[in-house]
Amino acid sequence: MFHLRIMMMALHGLRQNLVRTMLATLGVIIGVGAVVSAVSILQGAERDILERFESLGADQILVFNGSQKRSHRTTRKSSLLPEDAEQILEENPDLIRAVAPQFNGGGQTKYYEKNISGAVLGTTESYALINNYVVEHGRFITPQHVRGYSMVCVLGYRVAEELFGALPAAGKTVKINGKSFNVIGVMEEKGALGFVEVDNQIIIPITTAMGRMFGASYLTMLVVQCQSANRVPACIDGINKTLRTSHRIRAGQEDDFSVFTQDQFKEQLSQVTRLFGIVLYSIAGISIVVGAIGIMNIMLVSVTERTREIGVRIAVGARRFDILKQFLIEASIISMLGGALGVVCGWAMANFLSEFTQVLEVYTPPIIVFLSLVMAAVVGILSGIYPAIRAARLDPVQSLRYE
Amino acid sequence: MIKAAQLHKEYRMGDTVVHALDGVDLHVRPGEFISLTGASGSGKSTLMHIFGCLDQPTSGVVAFQGEQISHMNDKQLARIRNQHIGFVFQTFNLINRTSALENVAVPLVYTRRSFSKKTAMAALDRVGLGARAKHKPSEMSGGECQRVAIARAIVNKPLLLLADEPTGNLDTRTGRQIMQIFHDLHSDGMTIMLVTHEIDVAVQAERMIQMSDGKIIEDTAIDDERREEILNVAHDEHAKAFRDKAQRGLRSKSLTPPAERAES
Repeated sequence: MFHLRIMMMALHGLRQNLVRTMLATLGVIIGVGAVVSAVSILQGAERDILERFESLGADQILVFNGSQKRSHRTTRKSSLLPEDAEQILEENPDLIRAVAPQFNGGGQTKYYEKNISGAVLGTTESYALINNYVVEHGRFITPQHVRGYSMVCVLGYRVAEELFGALPAAGKTVKINGKSFNVIGVMEEKGALGFVEVDNQIIIPITTAMGRMFGASYLTMLVVQCQSANRVPACIDGINKTLRTSHRIRAGQEDDFSVFTQDQFKEQLSQVTRLFGIVLYSIAGISIVVGAIGIMNIMLVSVTERTREIGVRIAVGARRFDILKQFLIEASIISMLGGALGVVCGWAMANFLSEFTQVLEVYTPPIIVFLSLVMAAVVGILSGIYPAIRAARLDPVQSLRYE
Repeated sequence: MIKAAQLHKEYRMGDTVVHALDGVDLHVRPGEFISLTGASGSGKSTLMHIFGCLDQPTSGVVAFQGEQISHMNDKQLARIRNQHIGFVFQTFNLINRTSALENVAVPLVYTRRSFSKKTAMAALDRVGLGARAKHKPSEMSGGECQRVAIARAIVNKPLLLLADEPTGNLDTRTGRQIMQIFHDLHSDGMTIMLVTHEIDVAVQAERMIQMSDGKIIEDTAIDDERREEILNVAHDEHAKAFRDKAQRGLRSKSLTPPAERAES
């Protein structure tokens, strides 16, 4: 009851000095707002990336060109050959279920006057299997197509929709970068697979892509699917062995390829986010200190300004402890108000940015909201202590005479 | 009610020690109406602050209702101030941002009993300001502010009401209204101690104490006869002082009539 009354009094006082209260809280609002919006964006991005990884599956291993071991610098020397895919599968039949070689290109696809540009993926029949990505109409690329350098393509869901609308696409002929391809199928609607918007992608046989379309000798990457997720380490050993042998890498020499698993990506991701986190929390720390100084300043002014009031309160029966409490509660209210407004502002800011850019995912973890408020309360109490002690130590006789 | 014996209070101001109180003995009995007069710096305010448990004497003993206040801690002193003492100040000392009613209710906040607006309202009614409960001090006249301050002082029904120049900032007519409230409270049995340097106000009490240089130099009971006497003396002194002043003024250059100046 007593504390409630003191709180009401404090709120009342703060409302009377609305502009000043707002200015005092500004530091905390900005600090907390910055933290909340940054954390929201960071967490959103992390979640988005993780989701994409997870859509790839824990049993997948990605093999890229070039080594990534030496001081985190990628030496992008191309080395992966289409034969590597077959060899890996052949040499590790009990570990590996499938291997899909990939060559990523891009191009213009035309069907009469309709024209879209997008990703062109050269791969094999394993791609659909590994990614659990199936054809909706028609059929997928077969080993025969791959062997025969066939000019056939499978359209992503959105590509088919753009070019053909409601009409069946299978059996039609489209031109990709000027070359005629026979559409053999349309993929199901999938959205994103990893970091690729597969609905906008056109799939052609790997041989066609490398030999007849882009004139390339090396793959972009290999996607390996293990028999099960817990055999991933054994698979990595198998892949290393096969590739080092076929690439004729001597013992002691560095790999000319690099192997990634979902866990490794996650590890790297968490390293990056940790780094961002440290930067963020440092900024947050600084702005909170600034906020605290702001509140302390205002509280000191308030104590001086209300010297007489303090004298009166003591004269009518307030203990020094009551005076201390009054100013501490006031400082805490200012600070927590700032904290709450900061959370709202930060949240709104993050969501605005997300809406505005259409790219960012936003996720505000409840714990950060809670922590912000706790931090604000702590800041309020810490910045209020000194002014409150000053107020409580005032000599009532002097205070009553204070002009 | 309050007994003080051999009270001393010293302040250090720079290198000199000021004896604000220099051996004061005083016994305030319940139900008394005392006025405390004296020139500024005579120690009357210091005495009042000590009686109000706002200040402690350097030496000497003060007992409030038989208990020595110098032995009390902040909590106990605060309780006495809250429950048994009411303060009225020359400059009202109201909290400007809140209403009259909330000002009156301030002591109740520290009483720690269940809080009731009725109690505050009753005190406001007592000083005849019930209708202005919602007004803020800035919307009221000086007399009204002082009445709010009195209501605040009596809201906890104290035993002792201490007033420091309560009419000092008011015109004569308003001052008289305020004094009437004190008389009413006194006739209801409240003990009142009023600090003033206005002799007309001081003689309205039933006991008048005069201080000078930290000592009590006169302590008289006042009845109608004595009141007349004091006022007459005061008026004579006042008239004499006025005459002296006027004569001094005439002698000074600026007030000398032009004719006289020409002669000299």
